[in-house]
Amino acid sequence: MRRVLRASAALLVAGGVVAGGAAQARASDETGLLRLAHLSPDTPAVDVYVDAVADPSARITLEGVDYGTVSDYQDVAPGTYTVSMREAGASPDTPPVLSTTVDVSADSARTVAGVGLFADLGLEIIDDSLEIPPSGQARMRVLAAASSAETLDVSVAGGAAVASGLAFADTGDYVDVPAGSTTLQVSAGGGAPTDLPVDLDAGAVYSVLVLDDAASGLTVQPVLDAAGPGVTPVGGVETGAGGTAVSDVPVGALVALTLVTGGAAIGAAAVTRNSRSRHARRP
Amino acid sequence: MTPSGHGRHRARTPRRRLSWSPGPASFAGFLALALFFPSAAGPPAGATTSAADGPDGVRQIALEAGSAPAAAAAPLRVRIPSIGVDSPLAGLGVDDEGVLVPPGDFDRAGWFSGGPVPGDVGPSVIAGHVDSQDGPAVFFRLRDLVAGDAILVDRADGTTARFIVSATDRYAKDAFPTAEVYGPTPDAQLRLITCGGSFDQDARSYLDNVVVFAHAN
Repeated sequence: MRRVLRASAALLVAGGVVAGGAAQARASDETGLLRLAHLSPDTPAVDVYVDAVADPSARITLEGVDYGTVSDYQDVAPGTYTVSMREAGASPDTPPVLSTTVDVSADSARTVAGVGLFADLGLEIIDDSLEIPPSGQARMRVLAAASSAETLDVSVAGGAAVASGLAFADTGDYVDVPAGSTTLQVSAGGGAPTDLPVDLDAGAVYSVLVLDDAASGLTVQPVLDAAGPGVTPVGGVETGAGGTAVSDVPVGALVALTLVTGGAAIGAAAVTRNSRSRHARRP
Repeated sequence: MTPSGHGRHRARTPRRRLSWSPGPASFAGFLALALFFPSAAGPPAGATTSAADGPDGVRQIALEAGSAPAAAAAPLRVRIPSIGVDSPLAGLGVDDEGVLVPPGDFDRAGWFSGGPVPGDVGPSVIAGHVDSQDGPAVFFRLRDLVAGDAILVDRADGTTARFIVSATDRYAKDAFPTAEVYGPTPDAQLRLITCGGSFDQDARSYLDNVVVFAHAN
């Protein structure tokens, strides 16, 4: 793709060269996002290895990942990755306890999560939302990672249910909810709900982890997946008054002009054309 | 939160709210407090508990919110050494149609105060004019920025948020990439916006926007 022209060129050739440049996709620096989560209550801490299939030298290692951990996102090139988990401290040469492959595409985000009890441990690939929530709202889902809760019901006061009868080891769908200082209502196994005060930012995306605690209770942990403006501006921005723009005069007209205005101007026109051709070749 | 000097891959650098290590000891200690002293003078900041006996043996449901991050202080200046920009920042909002209102002063950039503060998680947005009717304005050279260039935003508390340019691109205004510019991001990012492309003399408006994408350094 063609990059933006330099200012010196645009001064003289804005009309001629730039006019053909329609909207351009943002092609450079396109990466995807990948993170890891340990959601298996009775599985010990693990070391996680993320290897690019296309480039085995590009390895990301996360050490000592224990239950309840959701990692930061890693920026990775689009492609296929192998995610392997070994017992914490085990040599990278030993066979992994679990492994899976995950495809990461540009401008998308995924979570690879170890889910279920150790005896039935699986690696789940979960799609994360980077979409803009409706104006003034937040987006939320539930990751049911507490084995002591056979099912979970979660809702935000005044909003739709975020999770209804969500089974252990399952991931709920994202639901748009009212933002602000509000109450998260959580119940396990169809029991009485517990009210938990939370602050939800408009424009933000949350995953709510529900975890076993050490005494057959539950810990509810909202994780901020991503944040954005509460209200998204419409369209572009009017940030120019045209004082450095040149009207859309074809170069041929400039040359014709120089023919009638004398020798000094001919030199100027030559500079103009050189400038144009030089910058037009810029990739 | 002040971005510190680590790169984009922060696998082992704990960030707020989630980390590899709330130590087991402190976690257990917190739970013990929550379970056995629910009416103690005050639970730890950010933690709230209440009892609910579920039929399947769940004794208690507690919130583990982590320490709420202090909101970053308002941005005061933007500095871009590679193109000689050093501008105070005005606050920008949207008009009745929801369109971002550009800075009133051609020589000053503005910050979209309805979005994240530069340095907080999310895409913060700074806009500035490319030119006035008389000549170049504050973001005249924005299109010269290339990947790797530094952008600094000074904030009211004396801290500076540092960003690195990842891409500079131009888009037709009628195909403005709203999702890419304003969509939620999991880390602190910055977009700089000005005008570019052809100037429509009748509408007194440039047809394109130049957008610089940057991420926290």
